[in-house]
Amino acid sequence: MVKITVNGKEMEVPEGTNVLDAALNNGIHVEHFCYHRYLPVAGNCRTCMVEIKTPKGRQLVIGCNTHVTEGMVVYTNSENSKKAQKSALEMLLLDHPLDCPICDKAGECKLQDQYMQDGQYDFRRSVPRYFKGGKAEDIGEHIVLDQERCILCTRCIRFVDEVPKTSELCIVNRGHEAKLTIFPGRRLDNPYSGNVTDICPVGALTLKDFRFKQRVWFLKKTESVCPGCSRGCNISVEQNHGHLFRFMPRENASLNKTWICDEGRFSFKKYQTNRLETVRLGHKTTSLQEGITQLAEILAGMGKDEVAGIASPFASLEDNYLFQKLFEKKFNLANLAAPIWTPKGSSDHILRLAEKYPNEQGLNLLGITTKAETLLEKIEKGAFKAVIVMEQDPFGENPEQAKKVYGKVKALVVLSTHATETAKQAAMAFPMRPFTEKAGTFVNAAGHLQRFKLAVEPENPDLVESSRWISKLARALELNGFDYEDTPMIFNALAKENGKLEGLTFDSISPAGKQLDLKPASPEPFQGIQAQPNVFEVKP
Amino acid sequence: MNLPLQPQLTKRFAVKNGHTLKVYLETGGYGSLHNLFALQPEQVVEEVKASGLKGRGGAGFLTGMKWSFVPKNTGKNIYLAVNADEGEPGTFTDRYILTYDPHLLLEGILCACYAVRSHKAYIYVRGEFYDQIQILRKAVADAVEAGYLGENIQGSGFDLDVVVHRGAGAYICGEETGLIESLEGKKGMPRIKPPFPAVQGLFNCPTIVNNVKTLASVPWIIEHGAKAYAEIGTPDSAGTHLFGLSGHVNQTGYWELPFGMPMMEFLETYGKGVKGGELKAVFPGGSSCPVLTAKECESVTLCYKSMTEHGTMFGTGCVTVLNEHTDMVRILKSLTHFYAYESCGQCTPCREGTAWEDRLLKKIIAGEATTKDLDLMLEVADNMEGKTICVLSAACSMPLRSIIQKFRGEFEKYLKKSVVVVPGTVS
Repeated sequence: MVKITVNGKEMEVPEGTNVLDAALNNGIHVEHFCYHRYLPVAGNCRTCMVEIKTPKGRQLVIGCNTHVTEGMVVYTNSENSKKAQKSALEMLLLDHPLDCPICDKAGECKLQDQYMQDGQYDFRRSVPRYFKGGKAEDIGEHIVLDQERCILCTRCIRFVDEVPKTSELCIVNRGHEAKLTIFPGRRLDNPYSGNVTDICPVGALTLKDFRFKQRVWFLKKTESVCPGCSRGCNISVEQNHGHLFRFMPRENASLNKTWICDEGRFSFKKYQTNRLETVRLGHKTTSLQEGITQLAEILAGMGKDEVAGIASPFASLEDNYLFQKLFEKKFNLANLAAPIWTPKGSSDHILRLAEKYPNEQGLNLLGITTKAETLLEKIEKGAFKAVIVMEQDPFGENPEQAKKVYGKVKALVVLSTHATETAKQAAMAFPMRPFTEKAGTFVNAAGHLQRFKLAVEPENPDLVESSRWISKLARALELNGFDYEDTPMIFNALAKENGKLEGLTFDSISPAGKQLDLKPASPEPFQGIQAQPNVFEVKP
Repeated sequence: MNLPLQPQLTKRFAVKNGHTLKVYLETGGYGSLHNLFALQPEQVVEEVKASGLKGRGGAGFLTGMKWSFVPKNTGKNIYLAVNADEGEPGTFTDRYILTYDPHLLLEGILCACYAVRSHKAYIYVRGEFYDQIQILRKAVADAVEAGYLGENIQGSGFDLDVVVHRGAGAYICGEETGLIESLEGKKGMPRIKPPFPAVQGLFNCPTIVNNVKTLASVPWIIEHGAKAYAEIGTPDSAGTHLFGLSGHVNQTGYWELPFGMPMMEFLETYGKGVKGGELKAVFPGGSSCPVLTAKECESVTLCYKSMTEHGTMFGTGCVTVLNEHTDMVRILKSLTHFYAYESCGQCTPCREGTAWEDRLLKKIIAGEATTKDLDLMLEVADNMEGKTICVLSAACSMPLRSIIQKFRGEFEKYLKKSVVVVPGTVS
């Protein structure tokens, strides 16, 4: 640790930190555009100018490229540093269009924010504006470039150079004619392209999918975890009036830094389409209560070993835990398993993992086996009268096999978030809430426990979490010990039982998650974001 | 004033075929090698330090000091990059060394590489110097053949490979880190410092970047000793320099002189007086230096210290003279346009500032500007200077500020006579 003084305030910061980070981490805001914690330092926006006390007097330096030294004295709001910061802002805005009301970035634009704080409110250009050109240039599958808004901070260029290492972007021309563009013959469509719009401090790079759909200040943000693969990237679910508008990455230094893949980013759409809306019993639709009562009557008449359960790596830890508890109390625990039929998907050494489900390790934590061959054989032979399939889609993922296995089951009960093939084949289908509509926890491939919160409260009263559905069923079956009011209570009960979660409560899980003592399920070692030789690493 | 007993840089300028190895050897070329290889590399650095040789590129940093910054035992290659990207407006002396005495430069490179333990030197030559590049390439080939470059040079066991690299004609590639980026095959954009090139430069290895004239001065120092060199010139500016003279003088050209000659004497003796009228102003060392008025020229001498005392810089030592009929506004417009065009566009204050100044000057010349615009120009110059990665923004703002301050009257003649403010409009 190094002791430094910023604006008269003494602080201890880790060695190797730069002055800008030191100030920011200690609540002293210094505006910056080109600096990004997880990208190499470019030092070109010249906005984070601060004064450092030297034997020769105070010296203006850029905070992002100045490392702290013992006893360093920094002034971020002295007259000179303020003047430098303001003049850099004035220069950035010189030919920048002043049309924030029609710019899609308004509300989360750093240039706008700093102008409100440091602007000179006296427009001094006094010469005709230089028009840099191009509105809404189509540069990639998801990305649109507004040339005139670009402030040439090169964050996007450094991102494509350092993270996906695809290097589609560059700056052409010199001086004030410099502009951002894609290399000839290239398109910005790498699997991580959406991130450039997050790190763009202005409205130059925007998502085709999001631009002009919603003003950002109307969006409500909820801390969540991407269920797209077993990486478990931290995201924030952004919605307005229950309508999802986007998933944004949420910083997690060890898991995803501030990146997410496009696959995850645009996955929000699937939670708004093709959803299962109603409870269906045979050909009749009914209410949830009626459905559960009827199901309970049927199940009550069956023997202990006549019901099988299919747990799911898509469902949360709490859902699977209650499912397990139901089988323990009412049926036979040996008849519960979680076969994984989901085919391996795209993967790389950056973020995406081939296992396209979020909670396989959660099953391991609970002791629910994913090796379900014996159970499936028994189902196939007709050993069970009823099978409850929770948040899985065997008929969609492997229709032939599914028909073979589940063909003879009389009462196929399906809990599903979407109107999947399995839900259609089921004798009874119950609509469930996806992760955006409930709280819960996932354990990622590396055994990292993470919490997601309820983002959207659905209007449909029949839409419940799988865990609540199980509680309701258990109560209908007159079982004790299922009186949970909400998901945190379930987690807390689980944490008391399970040694690996000892001492945890739902609320005490930090936003960055908690590493559990688990053996990775996938044979490939979990690599995290590979350390890039040229990436400027900030040690947390 | 003590004139050198013998010319150091221009010895072969008047010798027929002085650029060939044969004539170079006949006239005492590669004479420093005997002394050089007798010394340890550290001793060479000390010798150059003791000579007081300063970098001739413009900044005037002590050469020996720069060499001593190279970290030892890093296991990395050490490179020497020779800055022959002479692009400063009004500067034209390096090219004559490249034309008439390329082997002197090679000998200097050999001395420098030996001193910093480098085995690879790159000569980055300005793209427009086509002929010079041919001459240099021939000189390198000849020197390799004769065993003055290549492996085991003259039986000393020291190896040196010299590569002549042709630039593509960007002013900013004359900045040392811009030059390194360009040498690496990238767009010539100065690098953020630290790390400094001496620690992490070309291909992330320790690199020394030296100007042509700096290196061309080294062989003499090695051959005749630091003490002899330090005695030439003034106490703070040792040795001789190849001075250039252009603009409104009766005789333009370049002369090797020891430091310390009074400016007026230089103009009278070598320039044969100012042409077409009285002296008005002088750029003492390229267009990036603050301008000197006729009055200031009377007391300034051609050395680093005197120039600094007069609020300007020695720069490249190429003096540009302007007579009384020169329009300083148009001079400044021409300069500012140059800097706006040559700014690499990386740092905000330079990218936007140079172009802003250029547009403001256009407005002034069009007769549409007011006093406010003139003051704005000064303030923008303040906001540009010292706030960027390299010094290009300062190179633009320093002459700009000095010209406006010293010749404000000329600018005011261009301003609008009366200002009508229409309510509701933006000025």
